[in-house]
Amino acid sequence: MIDTWMAALGRRDILKFTAAAGATLTAASLLGPSIASASGALSLKGKRIGISATGTDHFFDLQAYNAQIEEVKRLGGEPIAVDAGRNDGKLVSQLQTLIAQRPDAIVQILGTLSVIDPWLKKARDAGIPVLTVDVGSTNSINNTTSDNWGIGKDLALQLVSDIGGEGNIVVFNGFYGVTPCAIRYDQLVNVVKYFPKVKILEPELRDVIPNTVQDAFTQITALLNKYPEKGSIKAIWSAWDIPQLGATQALAAAGRTEIRTYGVDGSPEVLQLVADPASPAGADVAQQPAEIGRTAIQNVARLLSGETLPRETYVPALLANKANVAEVTKKLGIG
Amino acid sequence: MSVELDLTPLSPLGQEATPAGPALGGQIAALALRAGSLIAFAVIVAVFAITAPYFLSVGNIGNVVGQSAIPGVLAVGLTIVLIAGGSNVVTGGIDLSLAANMGLSAAVYATLAQAGYGDGTAVAAALLTGGIIGAVNAFAVVVAGIVPLLATLAVMNVVAGIELVLTQNTVIPATTPLLSALSSSGPLGIPVLGLVLVVFTLIVGAIVQFTPTGLRLYAVGEFPEAGRAAGLPVRRLTAGAFVASGLCGGFAGILSVSNLSGSTTGSGEMLLPVVVTALLGAVFSRRLVPTIGGTLLSTLFVGILVNGFQLLNISSTLVNGVQGILILLVVSATTLLRKKEA
Repeated sequence: MIDTWMAALGRRDILKFTAAAGATLTAASLLGPSIASASGALSLKGKRIGISATGTDHFFDLQAYNAQIEEVKRLGGEPIAVDAGRNDGKLVSQLQTLIAQRPDAIVQILGTLSVIDPWLKKARDAGIPVLTVDVGSTNSINNTTSDNWGIGKDLALQLVSDIGGEGNIVVFNGFYGVTPCAIRYDQLVNVVKYFPKVKILEPELRDVIPNTVQDAFTQITALLNKYPEKGSIKAIWSAWDIPQLGATQALAAAGRTEIRTYGVDGSPEVLQLVADPASPAGADVAQQPAEIGRTAIQNVARLLSGETLPRETYVPALLANKANVAEVTKKLGIG
Repeated sequence: MSVELDLTPLSPLGQEATPAGPALGGQIAALALRAGSLIAFAVIVAVFAITAPYFLSVGNIGNVVGQSAIPGVLAVGLTIVLIAGGSNVVTGGIDLSLAANMGLSAAVYATLAQAGYGDGTAVAAALLTGGIIGAVNAFAVVVAGIVPLLATLAVMNVVAGIELVLTQNTVIPATTPLLSALSSSGPLGIPVLGLVLVVFTLIVGAIVQFTPTGLRLYAVGEFPEAGRAAGLPVRRLTAGAFVASGLCGGFAGILSVSNLSGSTTGSGEMLLPVVVTALLGAVFSRRLVPTIGGTLLSTLFVGILVNGFQLLNISSTLVNGVQGILILLVVSATTLLRKKEA
């Protein structure tokens, strides 16, 4: 049964499958704002909401931080927003002061768990509900984050579809110890399992920090010398998009633009490459930090109105491929 | 300044005409000078007390004192060097390695605690780390004769480099009974770190302000030649100040591990605020010289500004700028008053 299904699963079917997945994704992303407007019943009137950001120097946290402040205001509440500028000492001091201010809730954006957790616990002990963005803690009632299972699956399906369900793929797997990266990699393996003609080349490559771009460039250049024949490699996958950046540059430099690259995070420079029809960058899954921020604040409103929240709330990520990248960058507000 | 002083005796008539006038004016100016910064401090506290909710609550004041512990201990260490080296910013006493010292001492403590060593060993190792860094500074300044600004800048880089090697630029979590005790709250909910700061300042203040050794430090800093002529061990006192400063760095490292539940990266960012605090401290002393009490007041002043701005819910993007302007205002007001008195 499965064998016949596999046999019947030609390139066109995969494409249809991906198209359907893409359509669902678009529908979900279109639904985003309408969910927000449907939550007009939500209110934070008269509530003071503490927003503690680890820093606002990355695209992700700046977007989430600003969106949270705006959302608290939109719902009629008063935001008390503090930004620690990626300094742990400042972060702890601000959390201490925030607890003394007795807000109706505290939302913590990112942070090293061992540093913030004792203070999140103190907030909880003081009767202040704590919610988090992209950092799981036992002292947090709810954590709003991206759905990394969804991200991994969407990216893998796009990749398999683009290469026609067969061929060798190269993967960077240097950060399997980081949970989101592990989930994304496992999802790739899960998808590839059902496409017997797709093979992950051994040994897998290891991406590094720092000098990620340069290192990926060097590794891919060496690998291309090992596989000089066109078609011997179909795609390069990485769990984030900075190795993808280096890999894409290496492909362009070596004139091997028939190979496609895949990654996650929606870094503006990679999205630009995806938008370039001549570039080998195939797809990049972008998280929606602003939407994540808004969702976290809506969760606060739900909690304060007596609703019970799930442990985690997942905000869908947006897969940007050659066809829809313009739309995605526009939606992310970086177009 | 000397010109003005020379001119004063030339107008004896004026003095006779209004005998009480200048004397009274001078007294008021002197009073304003002594009290000016304290008045500014009091006004800012009053403004926050009226406008910022929760500001005067015991919990919040306790927070401010507790949060001041780490910068306070570092600034006290720097103050000792400022006293012994003279307060000329370029050629006088300065210890730029203090913040990096705190980072490395914290990393040593956290690494040992994680490796299963007890608090006693970790405390000794952290203080030893700080002391060694201080001794290296002392050697570079006193024996090699390098200007403190350059010597401690070089040591700062070495120390920061060693910290990177030791921690691989990662956070090292640590929990020990001593750390938990330090990060807990004492009576009335006042953080133990705050009590530590008060006791520490009292002890160091007593040594520096009220013992012959303290007096000799001032003598060496303000007039080394006179000190040498009077038979003071100038080099030993200067070296001792750097070692004391290094020990303060090690002590601050221990406090930092307790506050952050481990050692974290980015301790170097503490340097400029600590330098500002220690220099600002002179403004809170009667003769406008660095004192331990003045440094404590200045640490609390900076802490209160940061705290008050958060309580007033001033946008985080504005806080740094407003803080800088207020400090500038206090310093320039006091400097102007000093000129007027002269």
